[in-house]
Amino acid sequence: MSATDFQQLVDGQYAPLYRFAVSLSKSEADAADLTQQTFFLWATKGHQLRDRTKAKSWLFTALYREFLGQRRHEVRFPKIELDEVREEEMSILPNVNALDSAAVLEALREVEEPFRAPLTLFYLKQFSYQEIAEVLEVPIGTVMSRLSRGKALLRQRLLSKEEVLGNKVVGFESHRKGESHG
Amino acid sequence: MGIKSLALNHIEKGSHMDNQEAKFILNAYRPGGQDASDPRFAEALAQARRDPVLERWFSESIAFDAAMTENLRAIEVPNDLRESILVGVKISRPLRWTSPIVRWAIAAAVLAAAIVGSLTLRETIRPRLSGWQTQSLRTVTSLVDGRSNFDAQSHRASQLVNWLQTNQAPVASKLPKNLESLESLGCKTFLWNQELVSVICFARPDGGLIHLVITKASAVSDRELKGEPQLVQHGEWATATWREGDKVYMLALEGPREKLRTYLL
Repeated sequence: MSATDFQQLVDGQYAPLYRFAVSLSKSEADAADLTQQTFFLWATKGHQLRDRTKAKSWLFTALYREFLGQRRHEVRFPKIELDEVREEEMSILPNVNALDSAAVLEALREVEEPFRAPLTLFYLKQFSYQEIAEVLEVPIGTVMSRLSRGKALLRQRLLSKEEVLGNKVVGFESHRKGESHG
Repeated sequence: MGIKSLALNHIEKGSHMDNQEAKFILNAYRPGGQDASDPRFAEALAQARRDPVLERWFSESIAFDAAMTENLRAIEVPNDLRESILVGVKISRPLRWTSPIVRWAIAAAVLAAAIVGSLTLRETIRPRLSGWQTQSLRTVTSLVDGRSNFDAQSHRASQLVNWLQTNQAPVASKLPKNLESLESLGCKTFLWNQELVSVICFARPDGGLIHLVITKASAVSDRELKGEPQLVQHGEWATATWREGDKVYMLALEGPREKLRTYLL
């Protein structure tokens, strides 16, 4: 890859990669380091990728693997299956008008990592959900499951922050009374 | 049966979908996104159109998702990250020496060191050296006689330190003061006891070379190492080895240990 091609790849991907990294890492410095390391990996191993249209997926996969590798010695979060989601968690939404980037990032970082990675990729809109499954190297059903559970957890975190700040919470319990199931 | 298994059963069997299953699937849906036309979403979308309660939930959910996307995309990226990536990757590749004089001077120094080193290494490495030290000197000799290449090359040691840090290789928290003023040649890493060892080579003003080796203390078995450098002459090689925190350091040059001592100040 020529220097120009490499620069174009950096220009196109460093910002979304950093935003993915910053949701995974606990600090901006760690995220910048993770992003930089990902491009170093590309510089040393990227030539092995024959299909250059897959460069974006390669970078996101490499970053995620690097993140997992760095924290492999940390305590893993216990596995939480979607079945444990309470219906009310899925039916209460925070007041989106009261949100800002800092609050979203803070809440996202509080969501357990297995859910955080697919959530961030989903919201960054860089990949289809099938591509997210490839990047994270999990089945499609697992991505859907983690998105569903992850959103519920994210709403919980945002709601708890709103409660602290006294913001209005928009609930849907009243609407659910007449909800049909089929 | 859980939501996940219900939804997957539906996808596989085409059975009737309820709102709970529809929500599970629609949570992965992004209007106008890459997978908006994915047939897996078709029935869930149809269900949302049929059921006003589900439609209301879906509409609110999309608004929530859009707000999350907007806020995530608004996260500021550090101003210097792009430059840092481009410069960092550049120094990880072998550099072309810009000045012919510098290039020839370094080539001459490397050649001289190679001749001396290859003649003396076998005789000079005594059993008193630990395994990691022996391997370090072999690595240095291999570099100077051209049998191996630096992992990264730069005249500025700080760039090499950055490269090593980025590659999770051990680095000195602070270089010995008299090394800081020297021009570096390059760095190389190797594994010892499953831990990375970093080697940085510097050009001395007198035309010789000096090498700084760093690794984790846990990787070496020498428990006698202290904070004060232990200077030892091994034939033509002079080495100074010490421990600082969780790392051990070795400074090595071909010459008398008095010369080495001047770089420890």
